[in-house]
Amino acid sequence: MSAVPAPRDLIVSPTGEAVAYSDDPRDVGWVVKNIPCQSACPAATNIPAYIRAIAEGRHGDAYEINRQANVLPGVLGRICSRQCEKACRHGWPGNGEPVAICNLKRSASDLKNSGHRITEELFAPTGKRIAIVGAGPAGVAAAHDLSVLGHDVTLFERESQPGGMLRYGIPAFRLPRDILEIELHNALRLGVELRVGEGVGKNTSFPVARLLRDYDAVLMSAGCMAPLPLPLNGEWKNRDPADTCPDVEHGLPFLMALHRDEKKTVRRRVAVVGAGFSALDCARVAARLGAQEVVIHIRTAEEYIPVTKEEIFEAKREGIRIRGLRTPVGIELDADGRLTGVRFVQNRLGGWREGGRRLAIPIPGSEFFEPCDTLLIAIGQKTVNDFLDVPVELDRWQNVRIGENGMTSVRGLFAAGDYVTGPTTVIEAIGRGRQGAAQIDAWLMGETRRRRLVRIESVAEPLRERAFDFIGRQEMPTAVPNERLRSRTLEVDLGLPAQPCQEESKRCYLCNLKYQIDVDRCIYCRACIEVAPRACIKLVESVDIEADGSCGKLREAKEWNKVGAIWIDNNECIRCGACFKVCPVKCISITRNEFVEVDQP
Amino acid sequence: MNAPRHHVVVGSGVAGNQAAETLRSRDPESRVTMITVSKLPFFNRYDLPRVFRGERDWRKFIIYPAEYYLDNRISLRRATQVVSVDSARRTLFLAHNETLHFDTLLVASGASPYMPAELVEYRPQMHGFGSFRDAIAAADALPKDGHVILLGGDTIGLDLGRTLLDIGCRVTVVIEKHTFWPHEVSADERPRYIQALTDMGFEVVDAAARGQIAAVRAGEPGLAARRVLFRDGSEIHGDIVMPFFGVAPALDFMLGSGVDIERGLLVQPNLRTTNDAIYAAGDVCQIWSDADKRYRFYYGWKNVRAMGELAAHNVTGADEPWVPTQDEGLQLTADGRIHSPFWEYA
Repeated sequence: MSAVPAPRDLIVSPTGEAVAYSDDPRDVGWVVKNIPCQSACPAATNIPAYIRAIAEGRHGDAYEINRQANVLPGVLGRICSRQCEKACRHGWPGNGEPVAICNLKRSASDLKNSGHRITEELFAPTGKRIAIVGAGPAGVAAAHDLSVLGHDVTLFERESQPGGMLRYGIPAFRLPRDILEIELHNALRLGVELRVGEGVGKNTSFPVARLLRDYDAVLMSAGCMAPLPLPLNGEWKNRDPADTCPDVEHGLPFLMALHRDEKKTVRRRVAVVGAGFSALDCARVAARLGAQEVVIHIRTAEEYIPVTKEEIFEAKREGIRIRGLRTPVGIELDADGRLTGVRFVQNRLGGWREGGRRLAIPIPGSEFFEPCDTLLIAIGQKTVNDFLDVPVELDRWQNVRIGENGMTSVRGLFAAGDYVTGPTTVIEAIGRGRQGAAQIDAWLMGETRRRRLVRIESVAEPLRERAFDFIGRQEMPTAVPNERLRSRTLEVDLGLPAQPCQEESKRCYLCNLKYQIDVDRCIYCRACIEVAPRACIKLVESVDIEADGSCGKLREAKEWNKVGAIWIDNNECIRCGACFKVCPVKCISITRNEFVEVDQP
Repeated sequence: MNAPRHHVVVGSGVAGNQAAETLRSRDPESRVTMITVSKLPFFNRYDLPRVFRGERDWRKFIIYPAEYYLDNRISLRRATQVVSVDSARRTLFLAHNETLHFDTLLVASGASPYMPAELVEYRPQMHGFGSFRDAIAAADALPKDGHVILLGGDTIGLDLGRTLLDIGCRVTVVIEKHTFWPHEVSADERPRYIQALTDMGFEVVDAAARGQIAAVRAGEPGLAARRVLFRDGSEIHGDIVMPFFGVAPALDFMLGSGVDIERGLLVQPNLRTTNDAIYAAGDVCQIWSDADKRYRFYYGWKNVRAMGELAAHNVTGADEPWVPTQDEGLQLTADGRIHSPFWEYA
């Protein structure tokens, strides 16, 4: 990481191309608005850059680009919630299907050379000692970043192995443990002291107060590990059936026990309530444990549940059914106290909750009964704070409250990940773990040692061809359902082979490329407008300027004598390069604009 | 003077055509556009078993001649696929990158044959029955007096099975939970209906007794062209295998449109979706039933036609609730045969 020149000062790269670095809000605003996948990624992964590297066959480089934002690319390439794909410009109306970004991430990991060398530039040792509590995704990401920054890090983990939800919550058929082991090892190999089997807090050898004395800073990333109780009516009101009925279990403890290699069984007909990845995982594990019939009951509908379409499809291929618009209100037991079924009430869809989830509204008098003999409850998790031995301020959801600098109400005690936010996704936890690490570093060192700038580089010619727009999404090959049900560990997704991987990488629009027309040199021949496949080049009267100074809405001219400029609408542009190729006076320029993290000079 | 309203109907089956006809009569000044992914105009799907009796001329299946659409000023756009709908901007996106504005949208895209996800990968080994082209391909692959295996055995499949038995084919029905779909047959009654299948001449194989269907593969050399494998390791052989697991609403293009969907488009009893400008009719919609306190589907051409008519009425200013028009019960005739009211077409 080299020192940065003053913003907008052009320097010449070794290849002779002009490069500039900028923190101008207009440039920052352009990147945020125009690279929707990166903006949607909680870890801000530079997606167009790594997909371009894959297209050029540089899988190792693609892996490293990923690793700059997300220290577990091979893991996330398998289990990410894929917010990026929901935002992908290729999936916008009229553009087809989104790029299979997550599958490409995995391919970069799978297809890199077996002798691939990880490159990380380390800061000099600082002599600062930091304790991190919880070796889940947030804790591991923070430990990695803090060790890169030169701090001595000790990572405490209550379980016998690191990984948190990755190891104890996610089944091996989605996330093979050898992949997890390698990437965890790589993340922690820069001198992180890992202390497994060591709880922290009350009644342990390591009360938080002691950590605060012994270390310069403490980061709590203990995750969100307590299952939410299922609210029921009637005789089950305020009672948790998992406490008394052997056939009712909470999903997370069920999965955790299984992944601690404890013996778990289910009976013939399994009902799962819940709509997240944990619910799907419970159902798919139940199918592998021999259940004959597995049904997931959800409150809204398939379209609105926060899991990927691919996961739903694969679950269905394993014979799992999803039934919507129902809320459990009670359970029925036989004379021996064994489960006979669940009582539900019919729902209708309501408005939208905060965070983009649909509301379900129970319909009075619509109760019905569904027989089953095992019930797994996977409706969410919450944080646990009763182990804390220091008084920490909590918010209304009983999560730890942190300030803008990531610190709790206790000086030197920071918190990050699901422990602060409540249950989210792995990639969000990693993003927040990294953010927590940066905040601790800034607090300990009294300055921000790395900052984000926009790197602007001239690109000589379009990197895409129009024909790439007609390549269909390459689907992930998967194991045959009959075979996968015989094993709890056989990985379902087999990975994209090299050729389909490269085809898929060509589909990326490379939204980090910015096409601009030099209005002073344009002769208004309209050739670019004629060849444009979309309404992406516009004759405009004026352009609105956003609060950050970046260009906003285009005011299109309806008459020739009102044309003020010819403008490329980067929102509509699919970076096909047709305009660039046809321009007779070469007044269209291309730059690659992307975020980079650089050292403060 | 206001521009005439543009009514767009997606789908050209029973519901869509009835809707278009009603829209034309109730709003004579309007533009009516009907979009269908099918190359054929409205044809009689209930007659498709005739293909196995040797009827191959598609014109014999067509219900309305081209002049009908001209005379009624219904712009019929065949072989046109809608890929998405922006309900806020009232715009349809078509697969060839055209956009189409609508004032009202009536979704009557029907349903397509449902395939359980665990069998999707074996689709290339099966013969469908969802279109005229599928029916021709299946009939071509079936040797004279050949052996047909019907997986599932919904009422569409059993209707075809009656024809196949009649022309001398051997027909095996692999029964499972979709058998008799969409009729709901109680566990007590089910053995009687299964026995009736046997009495009608069907051979019956119980998938549950064999651990469910595991795969469909090409036959070994010298044996029948297809084989169905079960999880207990057993298998049966036939010349063609046809899946009949009921139907699933054809509404992929409505995902993300902002209109509420569960399995079908969720509509109120007046067939209006959660968007005031969008209505639905036919197999694609799940209608709120006050009596049953749930959203439910209604099948059968009489129901579907009535839905098309009602939706068009309500699009053009009425606000009437849906009332089912067709008996839904599976019947056993005096001579011990199964009869479905959905087989009655006029």
